[in-house]
Amino acid sequence: MSEVKRKKSISRRAFVAAAGGAALASGMAGFPSIVRAQRGPVRVGILHPVTGPLAFSGNQARAGAMMAIETINEIGGIRSMGGAKLEPVLGDAQSKPDVGAAEVERMNEAGVSAIVGPFASGIALATTQAAAKHNIAHIVDVGVVDQVVTRGLANTFRFGPGLSKIVDTAIENLVAINDGAGKPARTVMIVHEESAFGTGMSKVLNEKLPGRGFQIIETISHANPTRDFNNIVLKIRAQRPDIVIPSNYYDEFVLFSRTMAQQKVRPKAIYAILGGAASSQRFVKEFPDAAQYIMDCNHWYDPRNPVAQELRKKVEAKGLYFTYELFLNHECVRLLAEALERAGTGDRAAVIQALASSGFANHFMPYGPTRFVNGQNQGAAPVNTQVQNREIQLIFPKEFASAKPVFPMPAA
Amino acid sequence: MRRQLLAIVAFLAAMALVPHLVDSEFWRNWVMMALFYALLGQAWNILGGYGGQFSFGHAAFFGTGAYCSAILHVHYGVNPWIALPAAGMAAGLVGAFIGFLSFRYGLRGSYFALVTLAFAEVLRILANTVPITGKGVGLLIPLEPGAANMQFADRTGYFYLILAFVGLALLLTLWLEHSRFGARLVAVRENEDAARALGVDVFRTKLAAITLSGALAGLGGSYYAQLFLYLDPGIAYGPAISVEALLVPIVGGMGTLFGPLLGSFALHGVSELAKLAFGEAPGLDLALYGVLLVLMVMFMPNGLFGMGRTTLARLLGGRRDA
Repeated sequence: MSEVKRKKSISRRAFVAAAGGAALASGMAGFPSIVRAQRGPVRVGILHPVTGPLAFSGNQARAGAMMAIETINEIGGIRSMGGAKLEPVLGDAQSKPDVGAAEVERMNEAGVSAIVGPFASGIALATTQAAAKHNIAHIVDVGVVDQVVTRGLANTFRFGPGLSKIVDTAIENLVAINDGAGKPARTVMIVHEESAFGTGMSKVLNEKLPGRGFQIIETISHANPTRDFNNIVLKIRAQRPDIVIPSNYYDEFVLFSRTMAQQKVRPKAIYAILGGAASSQRFVKEFPDAAQYIMDCNHWYDPRNPVAQELRKKVEAKGLYFTYELFLNHECVRLLAEALERAGTGDRAAVIQALASSGFANHFMPYGPTRFVNGQNQGAAPVNTQVQNREIQLIFPKEFASAKPVFPMPAA
Repeated sequence: MRRQLLAIVAFLAAMALVPHLVDSEFWRNWVMMALFYALLGQAWNILGGYGGQFSFGHAAFFGTGAYCSAILHVHYGVNPWIALPAAGMAAGLVGAFIGFLSFRYGLRGSYFALVTLAFAEVLRILANTVPITGKGVGLLIPLEPGAANMQFADRTGYFYLILAFVGLALLLTLWLEHSRFGARLVAVRENEDAARALGVDVFRTKLAAITLSGALAGLGGSYYAQLFLYLDPGIAYGPAISVEALLVPIVGGMGTLFGPLLGSFALHGVSELAKLAFGEAPGLDLALYGVLLVLMVMFMPNGLFGMGRTTLARLLGGRRDA
C-alpha cells in the first residue's frame, strides 16, 4: 500500500512527533517546503466530500476510485512508465466549495498529476477552476451541471453525461415508454429539491414536457433536508397525476418514496431523473416495497459487461453498495490510467493532452467510445432503470437492456 | 492607541511579505482563507464583541454582499470593483433593516440571536425563489481573468485584496476602541439601562454598530464571490458562514482588536493539525477539531487574546513579587 495510505494508522506518539516537527519546520523556515512530484509513483488526487451532508456519496465515490487504483497497481501499474504505481492523495471537500478548492492547493503541493472528483456540481465549479491555475487535469466524476464544462477550462474533463443531455434523454425515453404502452399518461407532477440540480431539472422539464404532450399539474420544491413528505404526498393524492417525477438526494428520495407507499399513492409511474435513491441497491434492499417499479433516468453500468459484474461482486463482498458514485469513479480512474499509459509521463500538460485525445473504449459504461469536446465526453449517455422484484434492471436503451419496462405500474 | 496602530502596521507589513517569502501556494492559500475568516470575525466582533449583541445570522450580510456584487456584475455588467462598495452598502442596509426591526422592539440576547438566524434563513429561502439570484441553480460569474475584473491570474492578487480588507477592518476597530461611539457601544454592552440613564442613545448606537458590522461582512461576501465565481443560496446564506463568523472572535477574544485575527489563525491551524493527524479517516479530523474547540472555549473563556493578556500579567506580576 502507498505511503499516503499507511499514514492512516498513525500513532499518537508519531502524531505528536510529526506535529512537533511541523511546528519546528514552520519556525525555522516559515512554512513547510513544497513536496514536488517525484519519480516513481504517479500521484493522483482523489477528492470527494467524505464528510458533511454529501458524505455517503463521497465515501462511495472514494471507494470506487481506490478500488480502481488497487486493481491497476495489482496488474502492473502504468506499463509505459515502467510499471509506475498510482498513488492516491486523498482529499475531503467537506461538502463545501471553498474547502474543495483548498484541497486542490494541497494536492498541487503533493505533486499530483491529475485529480478525480469531486461528486457535487457546486464543488466541481470551484475545484476545476483551482486545478486550472496549476494546469492539473481534473476528471469530473459526476457534477452534472452544464457550466462545469462550458467555462473554457482546458484541464476539465467530464466522463459522464451533463444535465441537459440527461434531461433530454429522460424526456425522450419517457415519451417512448408512454407511446409504447398506448399513451396512458398525460399529466405530471414534479417534486424536486431546491438546490442547483433539482431546480435546474424542474426548469427544463417545465419548458420541454408540455411540448411533448404532457400537462404539468404542479411543481413542488422542498428544502434539503426535508424529513416529512406527508403534505407533499397528500397534494399528489389530491391532484392524481399520471406520472410523478421526483428529483432529489438520497435521503429525501427514500423518505418521499416511503411516504408514497405508506399513503398508498400509486400513479401510473414514478419516473425519477437522477433520483437520489431510485438506482441505489441500498434503497432497493432496505425498502423493496417502496422501490418496486420506480423508474429512473440515471448513470448506470452495462449489466452484461463481465468486468462490471466482477466489480459488483467485489464491492458487495466488501459490504458496500454498487452505486453510480462508486462505479463512475472506478471508470474515471481507469480513464486516467489509459491516458497516462499513452502519455508515458505524469507531466501535467501531457496528461491533459492525452485526456483531450482519449478514445477510451474499454470501460463498462453503456457509452460509446470516449471523445472529449470542450471537456465533455460525447460518448456518455444516461440510461433508464426500473426496480423489478428487488433488482435494478436496465430498461432503456434496448441495446443494453436487461429487462422490459413495466408501465403502467400494476395496481397494488 | 499608538502602540496598537504600530502593531497593526507591523502585522500588515509582515503579512504583505507572505507571498514573497512563502513558496508554497497551499500555505499562501491557507493564510488567505484565515484572513478571510478574520474579516468576517472582525465584522461580527464589532456588533457581538464590542456591542454585546450576539448575532447567529451574519450570513445574511455576507450573502447579501456576495449576491449584490454577483448580480450587478452578471445581470447588469457592472465592474466588480464598482460593485464592491455597492455590496458593502447593500449588506449595511440589510444590517440597518434587521437592526431597526429588532432594536426598535427591544430584542436582546437570545431573542436577537434567533431573529438574526431567522433573517438569514428567510434570505436563503428568498434566494432560492427569486429568479435574479438564479434560484437554487445559483449564479455563476463568468470567467474573465484580469485584475480589472477582480479575477487575478494567481492568488497573490486575492491575497493582497483580503489583506487590505483586514487592514481596513482593524483600523476601523481601532478607531472604534478610541472613539466616543465605541465608548457608547461598550457602555451598551455592559449595561444597557445604565447607558440609557447616562444619556446614550441605545437604539442609534446599536443600529450604527449592526450597519457597520453588516457592511464589513458584505465586503467579505463580495470577495468570496469573486474568488470562487459561484454562489448558491446554501453557500451565501447557509449557517456555515454564520457559525464561522462567531466562532473566530469567541476563540480569539471578543471585544478585542486582535482577537478575531488570533482566533481565525488558531482555528485554521487546529483544523490543519487535525487533518495532518487523521486526514484520511473521514470525519475524525473534524471530531478532533470539535474536541479542541470545546477545550479552548472551556479553558479560555476570554479567548486566546484574554488568556495571553492574563498570562503576561501573571508573569510580570510574578517578577515584580520576586
